[in-house]
Amino acid sequence: MSKVLFSTWKSEQINNIGKPEDTWEESVYTLPMQYNEHSEAKAFIGWDGVALYDADVDVVRLATEYAAQYQVYSEACGRCAPGRWGGRILYDLLDKIARGEGSLSDMDHLKEVARNMQLTSKCEIGKTVPNPLLDLMTHFEAEFLACIDEQKPSKHYHAEVGYIAKITAPCTDACPAHVDIPAYIEGVRDLRFDDSLMATRQTMPLAHTCGRVCPHPCETECRRANLDEPIAIMELKRLGADYETDHGFGFFHPAEQKPSTGKKVAIVGAGPAGLTTAYYLALEGVHCDVYEELPVLGGEVTVGVPEYRMPWDKYEKDIEAVKDLGVNFILNTRVTAEMMRRFETDYDAVMIASGTRISKKVYCDNERFEITGYWGAIDFLDRVNLYVKFGIPLTEAQKKEYAIDSDFVDLTGKTVVCVGGGFTSMDVVRCSVRAGAKRVIMLYRRDEKTIIRNTTYEEYHEAVEEGVEFIFHSAVQKMNDENDVLKSLTVDKFELVPDPDGGRPQLVKIEGASFDIECDYLIPAVSQSADLKFVPEEWELEMTSWNTLKTNGKDYMTSRKGIFASGDCEYGPMTIVNAVGQAKRAASVMARYVMNGEITLSDDEIMEDQLRKMRVYDKQEKVTGWLPGLPRQKSEVVDVDIRKMNNMEVNFGFTQEQAISEAERCMRCYYIAMVAH
Amino acid sequence: MSEMITFTIDGRKVRAKKGETILNVARREGIYIPTMCYLEKTTPSASCRLCVVQAEGIDGMVLSCQTPPTEGLAVVTNNDVLEEERTNIMRLYDVNHPLECGVCDKSGACDLQNKTLEFGVASQHFTAKEQLRKIEHWGMINYDPNLCIMCEKCTHVCNEVVGDDAIELKFGGYKSTIIPKNSERLNCTFCGECIAVCPVGALVSSDFQYKANAWELERIPSTCAHCSAGCALEYEVKTSGAAKPGEERIFRVTNNFEYASLCGAGRFGFDFDLRGDKDGKAFVKAVEAIKNAGAIRFSSILSNEEALMLQRLKEQTGVKLFNEDARQYKAFVDAFGSTADGNAELATLDELKASDGIIVIGTRVATDNPMTRYALTTAARHKGAKVVYMHPLEDTLMQNVVTQFVKYEVGTEEGVMAMLAQALLAGRETNKTTEAFLEGLDDGYLSAESNVGEEELAKVAKQFVRAKAKTLVLGGDLFAHPRAENIAKLAGLLARFGGFRVVIVPREVNTVGASLICALDADDGDNAGVVGYNADGDFVIAADMEADLTVAPLNQQEGTVVSMDRRLLPLNVAVGYGGYVLNDLANALGIGKRYTVDFTPELPAEAGFKAVTFDALENFYSSTGEDRRGYRLEKVKRPAAAQCEAVEDLPEFNGTVVYHCDPVLQFNALTARASQLEKDAELRGSEQFAVAARLKDGDLVVIGSGESARERRFRIDASLKGTIALEPTFDRGITVRRGTYRYEKVNIMKASNDE
Repeated sequence: MSKVLFSTWKSEQINNIGKPEDTWEESVYTLPMQYNEHSEAKAFIGWDGVALYDADVDVVRLATEYAAQYQVYSEACGRCAPGRWGGRILYDLLDKIARGEGSLSDMDHLKEVARNMQLTSKCEIGKTVPNPLLDLMTHFEAEFLACIDEQKPSKHYHAEVGYIAKITAPCTDACPAHVDIPAYIEGVRDLRFDDSLMATRQTMPLAHTCGRVCPHPCETECRRANLDEPIAIMELKRLGADYETDHGFGFFHPAEQKPSTGKKVAIVGAGPAGLTTAYYLALEGVHCDVYEELPVLGGEVTVGVPEYRMPWDKYEKDIEAVKDLGVNFILNTRVTAEMMRRFETDYDAVMIASGTRISKKVYCDNERFEITGYWGAIDFLDRVNLYVKFGIPLTEAQKKEYAIDSDFVDLTGKTVVCVGGGFTSMDVVRCSVRAGAKRVIMLYRRDEKTIIRNTTYEEYHEAVEEGVEFIFHSAVQKMNDENDVLKSLTVDKFELVPDPDGGRPQLVKIEGASFDIECDYLIPAVSQSADLKFVPEEWELEMTSWNTLKTNGKDYMTSRKGIFASGDCEYGPMTIVNAVGQAKRAASVMARYVMNGEITLSDDEIMEDQLRKMRVYDKQEKVTGWLPGLPRQKSEVVDVDIRKMNNMEVNFGFTQEQAISEAERCMRCYYIAMVAH
Repeated sequence: MSEMITFTIDGRKVRAKKGETILNVARREGIYIPTMCYLEKTTPSASCRLCVVQAEGIDGMVLSCQTPPTEGLAVVTNNDVLEEERTNIMRLYDVNHPLECGVCDKSGACDLQNKTLEFGVASQHFTAKEQLRKIEHWGMINYDPNLCIMCEKCTHVCNEVVGDDAIELKFGGYKSTIIPKNSERLNCTFCGECIAVCPVGALVSSDFQYKANAWELERIPSTCAHCSAGCALEYEVKTSGAAKPGEERIFRVTNNFEYASLCGAGRFGFDFDLRGDKDGKAFVKAVEAIKNAGAIRFSSILSNEEALMLQRLKEQTGVKLFNEDARQYKAFVDAFGSTADGNAELATLDELKASDGIIVIGTRVATDNPMTRYALTTAARHKGAKVVYMHPLEDTLMQNVVTQFVKYEVGTEEGVMAMLAQALLAGRETNKTTEAFLEGLDDGYLSAESNVGEEELAKVAKQFVRAKAKTLVLGGDLFAHPRAENIAKLAGLLARFGGFRVVIVPREVNTVGASLICALDADDGDNAGVVGYNADGDFVIAADMEADLTVAPLNQQEGTVVSMDRRLLPLNVAVGYGGYVLNDLANALGIGKRYTVDFTPELPAEAGFKAVTFDALENFYSSTGEDRRGYRLEKVKRPAAAQCEAVEDLPEFNGTVVYHCDPVLQFNALTARASQLEKDAELRGSEQFAVAARLKDGDLVVIGSGESARERRFRIDASLKGTIALEPTFDRGITVRRGTYRYEKVNIMKASNDE
């Protein structure tokens, strides 16, 4: 709910003008109310209407400025005739009226051009820019006519009034990294793959990676879904990245690297959050030292995500792009509290991006680490991936600990039970299949629908195809061992009992339905927690209730000045794109902080957060001007009998023709939002 | 997947194939939908919005150029609402468009003019602030942003068809403009495709600008004479207005840019025509010379009809015919066919465009044959083709197309082809002989000598895992190789067992025709008793004012040529020539006909020619892009099956090596004469080459010794690597002997007269 004087947002008709404040009708939407870090907005104008918060707003100028913002935007576009000339005419005519030189025919021309733009523009921005302008011209016609009749400027025409605008799109808004998705899809459609990649890299350095293993929240908020099916946004990211890699170009960075500022930052962890922080700070001319405990770069994406889903040679290219900017990586170095204390004085800022590398327990009876066959998911995946991707063999101690004879994780003849339901557990079971396990079982507390929602449709079905047995509504009650060697599990079955009061259904244990599964390994993959023992205790960093580092989720600084946190150690185990989004924002804040010692958000970032709160995507909106029924392209996957024997990448990706067809489905739903002061 | 969709356009029931848009179907069906930015050969830029249509049950207007139809859709292409919005778009296009049609090159052939009239926009309806912008001069191309309508055809064609990717849109809304990409000034191969596709007068030829109005020019359809691609073009000749009789000249070359392309040599290198009268004395000498000649050496820059005259002469007098270019090409094609067996039919450039896995070997293709390069660009962009480029020299022009560069040592082509066959036929079904042959290869030796590693070949194989249409492109380095036949036979194995189609890139405009028409003799290189026809000899008849007898060049003759696609294509007279043609000599020798083209229906049927008269040949692209020029030659019987020979010692090329390779836009004596084309005749080498050869940038050097010694300026070229320099041949006129291996071990000395 927002308190407004007047609003036409999403066709609501609120007009409190002249009414006492306590009788004001409120807007049902969470409209952006903030102007910048220091003040409140007086008006908000966007693709679907206009809202005034203050009677002092000069509506004629507001309309003119919004049209001007479209001009500024189209500095980055201008790719269709109606948008290019129409936008200019809108602005020129509105400004003419606002400065007191307009005529009545200008009003008619404005309406004519507005309609042409609404009907024929290439992107939504051209189609929607006229909407609030027409609203203002309709509801405040008198103010426009006054300027024309009296041939005098609008009330604040010559005053200093601030306006902040932002371009967004439903998908961009939904993406935690706010990737300019329509731009990279346009690059594919135009066969300008370098442009596509540069658009991605503006906010997302890991293009190969997030073209493969992103859970793509953007696709859930793709406006094309209102028409037929969402665009395959994620996969289209691969084309730009492949173009750069395949042709051996240098790296298409989104901007020229700034000269060195002489400032330096220490980053703990070389996973997605650490890499992203380093990439964007390096672009700003800040030197970065990245400390990594593992012998390899890339964090969980390297040692957690299996080769068949995320081939190392591709991820390596993403990492090379970061290296290309001169980022310094220090491997095999576990950061200690002592080092952290030194970092604080030696560096201008510190980023903690150490992830969540402790597998949580399943909380069953007899759950003891000493039992051979009890194997944490993180450790299991480390061992598998370090061998598959880098040929790093098991040590003698590890062989003994896991009861494995060979140099690598060989599960021939073994039965593996994994408890989970998220991406990590999927990786565990599918790696187990590839490691030759006789039988692989996934226990999950909830149902099939939920596991698909928590992962992806493809992931679940591919695992089923490969022979993983899923037992739903189940949980381990007890580990059964003989001399500290796992022999079997006792598993309870549950059922969903509807709440008679209409609340969420409850999981209730079915008495007498418990059973035993003989197995060699129990791999808990329920969740992970952060290992933050290296953070000096005396810093007393504030923690969340999940035992992760606490920040305000906007600037990503911890409770200690100059110490930042991003990725899983801040948020808890989450997605790559979430880590990237946080780190990108943090890098932006840090780049300013190291120069002036202040923690600030840019106007653009404030607007970004406000828009996310409001949500750009509207599931109910009816799409016009596009033909429904064009199917989403599906890429080819390797045949199950071939892939389950090896670590070949499962998904071939789109063929070029599929990619182009898919890109042509994109409706370029750009919008402009603007606040006025 | 190949299911057809049935829908209606304006009530008419129509069917669409997969991949067709509403606009494609409408055009095919002859239903008019206006466009300003649509270009058939590129992806749509979707910028003009004129092609919007309405569809039953769909709110708003749908863009027909990028929307495939759905089953049962009812499309309306025109009604009052659409007309109104299209008119408004035209009103927008006309905002501040400079009123300079009176002097604009495009006037009379301008899409903006046409559509403005079509939609009856008689005055400027809307206004916006005027912006005065500077005209850009980019050498052969001028760009006036004031006239530009931002249709983006130029940027699309440059990136998707040509591959230069040299211009881009500078985003700026109303201020948008076209700028050189990654460079202050335009840095490209100057193909001029951007000029061709420009619908207005924004991109124009600086040479042609202000010279003539479109309606004053007579258009003479013909075929480009510069390479074997056989591109359609129209010579535009001025025969009216201020020109006096006899002053007709070619003002420019244009083409059907919607479906075909031209490189800069074709587009700008048109003025190789000659002026002259019949020199009776020289003619008599020429007749005598031929009568006394032991051999006629001729270049493949001639028509089929001329080739047939020479063949008839041979049949009559027993004179030998030398043309190493055509002879070697024929031997290569025959050898290829002998192992390719049933898969010997060569692929066309259109088939190359549709390929998704391509190997190019033995050619610096971007300059050897620009259309093959454009086909590779199209395949790379549109089909995502993996392109493996195998050559001793990397070519930066090909970087955005090539996905793997495999460098081999000069001279080792035979070994490379053998290893390629081994790598790509591994695990495929062949036959016993082939299996044994591949098994018997000494891969350790071949790999060591050629410097091509096993992992490189494994990567080649891996790139093609998903390829559904594979093509092997074989170039001129191979035909003239001492082991050419075995190389061709090895390629034949890939065609027969490896699922590859093969493109063989001939050098000259009519290498193919000459190879099919003439029974050629091996040339020993001696000039004694040799009459040269556009070639070296002790009596030279050539399209050259310096020749012993000057005859008409190919743009001043009627006739036909055979392109690399095995299509017979007509040549027409752009401007008349007052002197002699070969047919005059043939008549004097008793084998001539009234006109040269009277030979056209007599071209040998056994080589695939048809008994069609010249006047019956069509020469155009249909409105749906069907190539209706001349005819495709009939398939002919292939030589009997043969086997590959063992691959033995590979030659070594140590010391100073030059590669005979012309710069962009240069091919031969005719392009060397064209006034607009840059004539960069320098020896170009890398920094490394300079060090090894002890040369400095700008040194004047002498290459080779004796008769073949030539003086050139040396330049260090930063785009080159390695120890092989590029030496052009285009400027050596008819003295260049085709048919020698393109790499040459030479001595390079600093010239004594160098300051």
